[in-house]
Amino acid sequence: MAFSLGFHIIFAAIGMTMPFFMSAAHWLYLKRGDEDCLRLTKMWMKGVAILFAVGAVSGTVLSFELGLLWPGFMRHAGAIFGMPFSWEGTAFFLEAVAIGLFLYGWGRMNRWVHWATGLVVGLSGFASGVFVVAANAWMNAPAGFDWVDGQAINVDPVAAMFNRAWLHQSLHMQLAALQAVGFAVGGIHAVLWLRGRAPGLNLKAFKIAMTFGAAAAIAQPFAGHFAGQRVAELQPAKLAAMEGHFVTGTRAPLYIGGIPDVESRTMRWGVPLPGLLSFVAHDDFDAEVIGLDRFPEEDWPPVVVVHVAFQIMVAIGTVMAALGVLFFLFWRKGRFPRWFLWLLGGAIPLGMIAIEAGWVVTEVGRQPWIIYGIMRTEDSVTPVPGMVYHFWLFLVLYVSLALTTVWLLRRQIMAAQDERGRSSGGGAS
Amino acid sequence: MIDVLIFFIGASLLLYVLLGGSDYGAGIIELLPAGRLREKQKHVINEAMGPVWEANHMWLILIVVILFMGFPVIFTTLMVALHLPMLALLLGIVVRGAAFTFRHYDAIQDAGSQRVYTWLFGLSSLWTAVWLGIIAASLNRGIIDPEAAGIWEAYVAPWWGPYPLAVGVFVACIFVFLAGIYLIAETTDEGLARRFRRVAAVANCLVIASGGLVFAASLGERESLPAAFLESPARWGTVVLATLLFVVLWASVARRRGWLTRVIAGGQVGLILAGWLLLYAPNAVTTAAGPLSFYEQAAPEATLRQLVLALLIGSAFIFPSLWFLLRVFKMGRPER
Ligand code: HDD
Ligand code: HEM
Ligand code: HEM
Repeated sequence: MAFSLGFHIIFAAIGMTMPFFMSAAHWLYLKRGDEDCLRLTKMWMKGVAILFAVGAVSGTVLSFELGLLWPGFMRHAGAIFGMPFSWEGTAFFLEAVAIGLFLYGWGRMNRWVHWATGLVVGLSGFASGVFVVAANAWMNAPAGFDWVDGQAINVDPVAAMFNRAWLHQSLHMQLAALQAVGFAVGGIHAVLWLRGRAPGLNLKAFKIAMTFGAAAAIAQPFAGHFAGQRVAELQPAKLAAMEGHFVTGTRAPLYIGGIPDVESRTMRWGVPLPGLLSFVAHDDFDAEVIGLDRFPEEDWPPVVVVHVAFQIMVAIGTVMAALGVLFFLFWRKGRFPRWFLWLLGGAIPLGMIAIEAGWVVTEVGRQPWIIYGIMRTEDSVTPVPGMVYHFWLFLVLYVSLALTTVWLLRRQIMAAQDERGRSSGGGAS
Repeated sequence: MIDVLIFFIGASLLLYVLLGGSDYGAGIIELLPAGRLREKQKHVINEAMGPVWEANHMWLILIVVILFMGFPVIFTTLMVALHLPMLALLLGIVVRGAAFTFRHYDAIQDAGSQRVYTWLFGLSSLWTAVWLGIIAASLNRGIIDPEAAGIWEAYVAPWWGPYPLAVGVFVACIFVFLAGIYLIAETTDEGLARRFRRVAAVANCLVIASGGLVFAASLGERESLPAAFLESPARWGTVVLATLLFVVLWASVARRRGWLTRVIAGGQVGLILAGWLLLYAPNAVTTAAGPLSFYEQAAPEATLRQLVLALLIGSAFIFPSLWFLLRVFKMGRPER
């Protein structure tokens, strides 16, 4: 499951943001008649088509896997937190219809209606992202039921959906998708531009994608801070693990880097910034921050993993926010220096790494609970034996899917660089 | 509330079989030898399926969502007992969707990779169709046993045997039949249309033959189909009606009524599905300990209310947009 999700989230992130880039390019074409923008639209459209298909099939696998792998969990939880999934299903449905209309609708309907179908693809993908993250947030901040003798009663799915964690997680996740994909796409086109390939096209692609990416990157640290405060309130054990904070205390320090040593309950090689953790968690340098010592050790998440993952995410977030500010500065000056573009080329994978790291923080940080404070992960697992085969089957499947997709996208980009562009798939012409 | 949900499950199932099923059938048709029509056939199938297959696939996801939110006990029982066929199904779904899309959108359409995509697309379509049938057949055999201890009893026996396999073959034949019928009107090429007519005719015979096989194989089951069908006129009536409609269908094919033909074929398959559902309703699954009924295994009322609300509001968006999709792509001129 964790693996399927780790795979799915990358495709989902791309699938829910690329349509916006595509619509932006399409809009520029319709307004200005810019042929480059038309080519961009069609290039991105094919990328969206490929990714949507892969996102759709890997998502289908997930919806089955919930039951295949976590029957104990779903038996109790399905009725409570199913609501966002039912809305997600609706949103996907709209998306699937809209994508069919957009991909094959060239010349078959009014141009602006056609443009709007492309936008609907993006909007419904975005909405489904919000819904599914709300479902995940429910596992962090369970709500909407009373737990009596191992049974859920008084179920209220609306309260479950709008649980205390949905807002910060959704906001943060959607920004993450925009920023990761914006930087990845922008970086690829920056490198192609530097290599002198189709300069007009690549510069425009770079600007469109990076506008989204940079704006999201600048907003992200604020959203992340908001998320951190909510975690401090809802899941103090997770926050303590993120920060390697073993002992409860006031004026708690924030560590830069470092490896928590669980044996001796200290932080090794970290640079402490006194009081900053108290400030980050509670807006007050002297506030008390609960440490891991308040929890029995069998309720600790794997501290090292969570801490390292969190550091990776925040480090990347800081770097990307800085790059985002530079991007707007250079754009106002009207010129992007070559070193800056090369730097962005190096930043291509950063956002994706941060997304994976962020999920490790939320998911591993919630352990040993699958529903925080209610149900332990070990009680939810399927009784079916031989799960290793399941794991390997999907590993092989996904790795080959991922490789094929990357290979296809590469061919796509290369063909678009080539002005004559060897014949590309039918339908869209 | 529960009745509304049962209605949505039934309707989604019907639409999945009629729409998604024909997409699988198209894949299987591409496996059959086509000689020099191969390229043209590929083009027509791409154009026919391309705009709609993802939407068609959503009906399955809708069923899964309704089950796991509205009937979690039924959902988890199924997923545990039928773990292996579900995995096989998923494998097929992933490969099928990926191969179809990749074939269409690969920027460089060289013969080698195209052949691989087509082959994968066809094979996984066949594979998925058969497993769908196996799963459908396993629901109500009364072998699923949540208490079973052995690996064989718990995870293999529920879907093992000639009967599920026969249903799998039957389902694949139905899908090919539907695809053949639908595709006739998608092309203006006389040779290709003739080929689709021939495929549909052969599949028609196979549907009847494999239907007989299903009945025969069911004699070894706990409850045999012939006995069950004869119990009420509504049950055997659907089957007889579906069979009689074949005459009307081919009259309509001969007159080249594109849409009428499609509707009749869809009606036939709908009748077969209804006959099957009537056998078991309102039970979703029959375990060794007895049936699990939709009425008894439903989620709490508050959840059902929200689910129904989501489905109704969703329908208000989905049906108009589906209608628009159909109007744009299926009501106009057929392909070359
Ligand atoms: C591009 C990706 C990205 C970047 C740059 C950041 N994050 Fe993040 N973070 C995510 C991608 C992400 C994520 C993958 O989207 C998570 C996982 C679950 C979620 O809702 O968002 C997440 C979770 C997450 C959580 C846990 C939320 C919870 O468990 O409820 C916190 C506290 C933060 N982040 C804080 C930050 C801070 C302070 C950042 C500083 C810049 C930051 N993130 C940058
Ligand atoms: C999309 C990105 C996600 C990733 C990368 C991810 C990854 C993980 C990881 C690493 C674990 C912990 C494994 C362990 O410590 O043993 C886990 C647990 C789990 N997650 Fe997620 N998760 C994601 C989102 C979600 C969502 C959206 C859901 C459901 C709505 C979900 C459901 C679960 C379940 C049921 C577990 C069980 C605990 C376990 O695996 O041990 N996850 N996930
Ligand atoms: C953080 C985690 C997740 C995010 C952000 C996310 C978002 C998305 C998005 C945007 C898509 C559309 C695919 C595309 O446009 O390329 C998608 C597909 C899908 N996802 Fe997820 N998803 C997540 C996790 C899950 C989980 C846990 C499930 C399982 C219940 C799931 C079920 C699905 C399904 C069924 C589809 C296919 C729908 C279709 O055919 O379009 N997703 N997901």
